[in-house]
Amino acid sequence: MENKDKSNMGRDVIFRIKRFDGEKSYWSDFVVPAQKGMTVLEGLYYIKGTYDGSLSFRASCRMGICGSCAMKINDKPRLACETQILQLNSSKIKIEPLDNFRVLKDLITDFEGFFAKHEAVKPYLIRKDDNYAEPVELIQKPEELHAYYDFTLCIKCGACFSVCPAAATRDDYLGPAAMAAAYRFNIDTRDEGRDERMFMVCSDVGVWRCHFAAECSEVCPKNIEPAKAIQKLRFQAAVHMIKKALKRW
Amino acid sequence: MDLLKWFEVRGKSLFYISYSLHRITGLILVLYLVMHLSYLTSLRFGEEIYESFIATTVTPTFLIFDILLVLVGVYHGVNGLRLILHEFGLAYDVRRPILYLSYFLVLVLWLYASYKLYVFIVGV
Amino acid sequence: MAEELHTRKVLEPLGWILQLLTGLLLAILITFHFFETHLIAHDALAFENVIARLTDPAHKVMYGLLLASVSFHAFNGLRAILLDTEFGARNTKAINILIVLVILGAFIYGLGLLFTF
Repeated sequence: MENKDKSNMGRDVIFRIKRFDGEKSYWSDFVVPAQKGMTVLEGLYYIKGTYDGSLSFRASCRMGICGSCAMKINDKPRLACETQILQLNSSKIKIEPLDNFRVLKDLITDFEGFFAKHEAVKPYLIRKDDNYAEPVELIQKPEELHAYYDFTLCIKCGACFSVCPAAATRDDYLGPAAMAAAYRFNIDTRDEGRDERMFMVCSDVGVWRCHFAAECSEVCPKNIEPAKAIQKLRFQAAVHMIKKALKRW
Repeated sequence: MDLLKWFEVRGKSLFYISYSLHRITGLILVLYLVMHLSYLTSLRFGEEIYESFIATTVTPTFLIFDILLVLVGVYHGVNGLRLILHEFGLAYDVRRPILYLSYFLVLVLWLYASYKLYVFIVGV
Repeated sequence: MAEELHTRKVLEPLGWILQLLTGLLLAILITFHFFETHLIAHDALAFENVIARLTDPAHKVMYGLLLASVSFHAFNGLRAILLDTEFGARNTKAINILIVLVILGAFIYGLGLLFTF
């Protein structure tokens, strides 16, 4: 009971934020009076409103569904809106922009390439018989849904990409999020576009760059396990490519 | 250097640390393979030269390198088996117990091999 | 975007599968090799014993297999590391050719030793 009372009281926490103004990067310290239940994102808004209006960060929904506010909090990428200050259990919180992304300003990073890679794997149902004039219902059993359902929960926050060692040294690497999306549609029974998708996935920038560091699965705020998707996708890709090569003979 | 990001383990899990170690031990083993294959050329020069090579390298002074090499080899081997299992898409859901088991196995195999090597080279 | 990023590599899946299979094989062969040379007999590394093993047909096959898988596994692994870098992305073809040559070189060099004795 005593512990509970203590955490209810709240206390001052120092936010140590890595800043970037377009030319140089530097650190700024701010004191935030943290209350129980207060999130890191609320702390950032407090700083912006009270001390420094120029502090820049991306945020939108405040409830872990838009994927805007992923940032490195105490060395780990997390969603600022789903991380409570007091639960971090430290008097000083270090906040940095995500790794493996180009920093634009303070905590805002450039996601253009990340989204382009997502687009490149065609993350949508591809049907040979698309007929928008007379749409038909596509039937699917519950177990067919469950096979891919978890992978649909990705919010494209970029946490997985920021810890991936392959993405760290190859700018053009597709990354965990895009390949998890490719796998999600590949195993969807309604989809007929596997060949088109494999074109990207089997390439030099695709599955062959993954060596199962599995950190993507560790940091994913939605627990969608991109590492699992990539291992299965690579197996699929290997079978796909060898079959193709044999057919050509 | 960007390459150092492969070994940046601050804030990372044991899975990532295993990845870094696998890469380092792999590189060490490539170097060792080149050395080992070159060493074998001494066989061509006859018994005397070969035995003089053995006399300098199979000694208590070299034992420490041997034991470290065994650690590197055992680590790369056991961790590699873990990676092979997962890369074939198997046992992903129990990856954490398997990870801990692999470190335990590395320790046991390394201590056993080191003890046997010690007895072999130094004697009891 | 798709066309721009794409480079077709038919040998990639074979390289990946062989890396795993040689890995499995090496775990067995190297353990055996290590046992034989360090843990069973005290004079296993004496010249005449080494020559005796090298002339024994069963050992010749074992060494040949070990040599082939270790050359492939080691240098294909190195290739994977090199291709993980921007440098590798720019010089993919050169690295692939170089690595094939190195693998063949190591294999032929070792076979030379195997057939001498």
